[in-house]
Amino acid sequence: MNALTIRHLSYCYPDGTTALDDVTMSVEENECIGLIGPNGSGKSTLLLHMNGILPEKISVNSVSVFGMAVSRETLPAIRRMVGLLFQDPDDQLFCPTVFEDVAFGPRQFGEPEDAVRAAVAEALERTGLKGIESRSPHHLSGGEKQRVCLAGILACRPRLLVLDEPTSDLDPRGKRELASFLERLPATKIIATHDLELVVRLCSRAVVMDGGRIVADGPTVEILSQAELMLEHGLEKPHILQHSHPHRTSPDHG
Amino acid sequence: MRHDFLDRYSRLSSPVHRLPAGVKLGCAIGSILLIVGLPSGSLWLFGLPTLALLVIAAVSRIPPSFLVRRILFFEPLIVGIAALNLLRPGGGEVFLAILAKSTLSLFTMILLANTTPFHALLRVFRVAGLPALLVTVLALMYRYLFVLVDEAERMSRARSSRTFDPGALRLWRVMATVIVQLFVRSSERAERIFAAMTARGWQ
Repeated sequence: MNALTIRHLSYCYPDGTTALDDVTMSVEENECIGLIGPNGSGKSTLLLHMNGILPEKISVNSVSVFGMAVSRETLPAIRRMVGLLFQDPDDQLFCPTVFEDVAFGPRQFGEPEDAVRAAVAEALERTGLKGIESRSPHHLSGGEKQRVCLAGILACRPRLLVLDEPTSDLDPRGKRELASFLERLPATKIIATHDLELVVRLCSRAVVMDGGRIVADGPTVEILSQAELMLEHGLEKPHILQHSHPHRTSPDHG
Repeated sequence: MRHDFLDRYSRLSSPVHRLPAGVKLGCAIGSILLIVGLPSGSLWLFGLPTLALLVIAAVSRIPPSFLVRRILFFEPLIVGIAALNLLRPGGGEVFLAILAKSTLSLFTMILLANTTPFHALLRVFRVAGLPALLVTVLALMYRYLFVLVDEAERMSRARSSRTFDPGALRLWRVMATVIVQLFVRSSERAERIFAAMTARGWQ
């Protein structure tokens, strides 16, 4: 079954800017997709459609998740299935303590309090955050905040993970840790990012957006190796895919 | 800025900290009502609540220097309001009464804030039947107050690093822009927070 199907989706912001222009894509279960493109290409807007935060009024069912069309009636079920990680952790950590924040999702979905506690404990364990339950999000480091956000989403046990720029605020160690964590995480993943090395490492498929349209879609290495395509859309062929790698010394040259 | 500016010692471990939040909130409100209700004429009556609060402060192990500094921080406001009474005949007594009542009430609130974590108080509000929306607004205010303060600090730092001739008029104009910017940014942030809340099932 397709984890996500989007058919002819267009969207204009209230001020008249066209953000999405006839987008059609599908994602299979357990696939990991890298969504790349220049700033303002519509990546974040597309992500917000995946659990019905946009459009403001849902009229046409152009998005469906695991076979369920996004509509007003299905919103709670859709939001349960789709875990959305926002770009700025401060926007997502809105509760006074780490525990309350991770518990927010399960509580909203009406789980009994002991199930909530179990879900929170498990999510904190998986993200390596045990022991900071009573801390205030304001005093955590950037990497810790990001992990609490992830824990808050995992506690809802989503089947489709949608991540908006997950590495933009992280230091290299944080990036490495996040990448290996996501690698081990069994779920369908869609990652919007400028971090092309991350896409090469995690994603089997890359989707390139520009000007609200999908301009390329295919196997990651194939897409990201096309230097011209990358440059044309404000990207670049990542370092690790350069054929003549400047730092690589071949064995016969010592 | 660290937001434990408000409640730095609320997570200590002392007999007072271990009391249920509801009990502490009830006692605090009760004692403020009592202090406000004391007759102004007999100042010696204020000795009793003062003594009680001092004992609680001692048991709670909050550093006395912190308590004194925190009271002095707000005292100018109290003195300012109380001093208005000195302008009328026989206002001295009222002045002293307002000064004593306000200072003791302030002392009570500082003790409450620094012996009870804010989220525990929120839980009491919720159980006590305060409207859920109001509790949420309080929680968000506590959470984002210092995100906002930090943002303002960053902006004013960026501003002063490009201000070479801070004339008074110029400074005011820049201040106004900073405030407007801050307002716009907060309303945009509010939208993003709302999206993040709905994404996790808020209705």
